[in-house]
Amino acid sequence: MAVLEPADARLQPSSRARVVARLGTRTPEGTTNVVLVLTRVERGGQLWIEARLPVLPNNTTGWIKRESLGGYNAVNTHLVVSTKRFTATLYRFGKPIFTARVGVGQSRWPTPTGRFYVRNKLTRYSSPTYGPLAFGTSARSAVLTDWPAGGFVGIHGTNAPGLIPGRISHGCIRLRNGDILRLAQLMLPGTPLTIV
Amino acid sequence: MSELLTLDEVDRDGAIRETMAAIGDDSRAGFLKRSMLATGGIVGGGALLAAIASPAQAATANDVSILNFALTLEYLEAEFYTEAVAMGALSGEVLAFARIVGAHERAHVAFLKKALGTAAVPKPSFNFRGTTENQAKFKATAQVLEDTGVKAYAGQAPLIDSNAVLAAALSVHSIEARHASWIRHINGAAPAPVAFDQPATKARILAAVAGTQFITGTPAMTASGGSPAFTG
Repeated sequence: MAVLEPADARLQPSSRARVVARLGTRTPEGTTNVVLVLTRVERGGQLWIEARLPVLPNNTTGWIKRESLGGYNAVNTHLVVSTKRFTATLYRFGKPIFTARVGVGQSRWPTPTGRFYVRNKLTRYSSPTYGPLAFGTSARSAVLTDWPAGGFVGIHGTNAPGLIPGRISHGCIRLRNGDILRLAQLMLPGTPLTIV
Repeated sequence: MSELLTLDEVDRDGAIRETMAAIGDDSRAGFLKRSMLATGGIVGGGALLAAIASPAQAATANDVSILNFALTLEYLEAEFYTEAVAMGALSGEVLAFARIVGAHERAHVAFLKKALGTAAVPKPSFNFRGTTENQAKFKATAQVLEDTGVKAYAGQAPLIDSNAVLAAALSVHSIEARHASWIRHINGAAPAPVAFDQPATKARILAAVAGTQFITGTPAMTASGGSPAFTG
């Protein structure tokens, strides 16, 4: 769901609960800021949405008032990345429809594990390091905390395909350019992402 | 004769009563029981709808515009009911209503898209602002949407060029009227409060729809240019 207005995400579905994150309406890339819905609850006539948040610590969730969010958009895909097997597999309705070898973070800059989601898709940018296309995710580096724009982990192509598979990046998930282009035909922003 | 017609006044030769007897058990309980087991498919009306299933039938620009107006409203209703059923906040007859009417509206969308072909407007994005997530809000909103749909079709029907398009529009209009009566009954409102409905202009309908703020812009989840700032 899109974040329509600056909103507080709280520990519990209550206006008195501690704020765990403050959400803006745009990502650092200028796209609409979206959250992944986990569940809903009504308390005293107020609808609350529990959502997965693009904040540190990774895997943070919080409760947001329904009126601060936009419409629901359902997705039927799920991307699973294994940092041990160096694979990315996309599932649609639970069935694998895509798989590719990947590069992940070096041991000093590990790709974070846990549950995240794909936030946006970037194209026609100027840096060949990221290949022809990149997806932004809600995952953030736990060590590169002073990285510009918040240290978000991307899923992108590369100008060094010979390094894949392996622990090669600053935390991002790298695919060979042909694979990232294939993935882009099958996966939309909003897709849940599990990194194991 | 009162303004509200009785069956005796309308069915002077008994033809209506004869037809009702031939249909058999048409009690509400029986209908709902069958509907709760339904898969959501639509039965009947195929011949009439097939008459307009070719885009060539909606050849005039005027009729294309009217059908696209109808399609936008049907997109809205179909998505409203689909989302309401998925949210899980409905129960009993309200849930049955949402399932059945949702299936009808999805059928209307499919039919209009087929009739319009490449001229069909794309489906907008929606934010139903919690009205699909609370049974009381759903019931009130459904009544407004169905009453609005009835007025919209009544307002456009006299403007349609093609007889085939008109016939199809009337076949949808009567179903929307049934939906309106049903939700009114669920809500404890008079199913048919007046003898003559007032049509509404397209401008008035669009203003009413805009007032709900249900139709939204599509979230911008792609970007071009610049350089990604990911960790790399």
